[in-house]
Amino acid sequence: MTTLLWGVDAAAAENCQSLRERSAGQQVISIHCGGAPSATVDADGRLWAAFVQDKHVYVTRSDDNGVTYTTPVRVNSEPEDTEYNGENRPKILVAEDGTVLLSWTTKTSPNFTGEIRFTRSTDAGKTFEPPRTMNDDGLMTGHRFDSLFLTASGKLYLTWIDKRDLDASAARGETYPGAAIYYTISDDLGASFTPNFRVSHNSCECCRIAMAPHGDDEVAILWRQIYDEHIRDHAIAVLGAQGEVSGLTRATVDDWFIDACPHHGPTMVQAAQPGQYHISWFSDGNLHSGIHYGRHDMATGTTENIIQVDGTPGAGHPFLARDDNTLYMVWKGFDGMASQLQLMRSQDDGATWSAPQTLYNTERASDHPLLVTAPHGVFLSWSSEEFGYLFTEIGSDEKQ
Amino acid sequence: MKSNRVISATATLCLGLLMSAAALADSIQPLGTGTFTELKAGFEGKPFVVSLWSVDCLPCRVELELLGELKKEDPEFPLLLISTDAIEKREEAVYILEEYGLETIPSWMFADAFIERLRFSIDPTWHGELPRSYFYAADHSFKAHSGILTEEKLKEFFPR
Repeated sequence: MTTLLWGVDAAAAENCQSLRERSAGQQVISIHCGGAPSATVDADGRLWAAFVQDKHVYVTRSDDNGVTYTTPVRVNSEPEDTEYNGENRPKILVAEDGTVLLSWTTKTSPNFTGEIRFTRSTDAGKTFEPPRTMNDDGLMTGHRFDSLFLTASGKLYLTWIDKRDLDASAARGETYPGAAIYYTISDDLGASFTPNFRVSHNSCECCRIAMAPHGDDEVAILWRQIYDEHIRDHAIAVLGAQGEVSGLTRATVDDWFIDACPHHGPTMVQAAQPGQYHISWFSDGNLHSGIHYGRHDMATGTTENIIQVDGTPGAGHPFLARDDNTLYMVWKGFDGMASQLQLMRSQDDGATWSAPQTLYNTERASDHPLLVTAPHGVFLSWSSEEFGYLFTEIGSDEKQ
Repeated sequence: MKSNRVISATATLCLGLLMSAAALADSIQPLGTGTFTELKAGFEGKPFVVSLWSVDCLPCRVELELLGELKKEDPEFPLLLISTDAIEKREEAVYILEEYGLETIPSWMFADAFIERLRFSIDPTWHGELPRSYFYAADHSFKAHSGILTEEKLKEFFPR
């Protein structure tokens, strides 16, 4: 587990192409080659990342903030048609006691069916338990776009988009716009889970779900929801540890009339004031078009201080993080030739923002950007053909 | 709902069956950054319709069903299909196109991992939502539509 790939010191500027060129035809399993990586930082400040390659989920660790990585450990011994794209990627968390927690979606047919998979490692990532299917309906239908969150009190929440109610409606000859949101909870770090609970009917079918803490035990989630059968804006709700759903309300009113898959999920972090959330989302609605930011208040059920972040047609996929007094947002722009990795900061809880700053510019393919909040700072987690996988600290100071 | 019936009828088929579709010939070609301009040139002075879809897009199946029926009624209808999936997924795409009798019509799939650039080459103002369709008049002025195409919309945008 501590041997480096090829015995090479995988520098930060590494990419898959250079690794392959040096591999002399051997298969390269690396975070720089794998699909749709995601990352987390454990209590000791070590980086853990999960990615998909050749129908397997892999986990690798870096003890030097992404300069070198351990040899990736294969998580699922049996190959699975694991989803890996900007909106749907394996999720990884590490609990305070070192338990490594993973979820992902496995496709089970070409017709949007899938299963929500979960596994964990209780030996510091050396081995993983056989993956379990978390949707408990036993149906060959859609269960996709999983999101995983561990509360400060140690409650593990797993939520996803589920089509069991769509199937039931279809069997009764009734129409059912979209899908539903379901979740399950574990209070023993994934040893066991509750039955599945429904959060909401009529969600959009194809956008990631954002999660953030709500108190010590609960989570708030934000997702794209269908209103009036054709409007795809956003809803927010609080999920409780016993399956109770509260505060379900509309979070964005963009009036995006569309019977289509936007493939564009929102992002959310807790604000300094309890019960308030910083949210960012994409819409092409009549009221809001482009990437927007706003602050949602659970008590009043309103989103205020809404600003347009980037209205250019190629801009999308915002991601938020908060660290002490600074709020960070990254997203991707596109100018016709190249993608720009954009960053802006707010020092006053989202009231005003710095001018966008371009961190990277690439004329090759790249993933959606993610931000990881660690005890020692906020880091960009981003995969691209040109730069490989980057895990780079983003300072709170504009000049950095 | 008709579309749900169609989808649930096929949902019981497994990926194993999908692989058997690979052996069949298909009409799918790779779409690079210059391809769309070439396609338009091929229709110089003529009207045509472009439908963009992906294997992961449920509303696209409803549109493909409509387009399949349309092509059955009118085999000469000038329709181009572009899947925004990587061309490596062509077996899956062919399997789906066969469901709707569309496997023999001119079809393209994204053949560059830099999808933002491919999208831009089709339409700089498109955000990537699917299904997305374009209605080109003979002078190649065009209208764009996001979301499922209905017969009414098709008639409105592309009177024949």
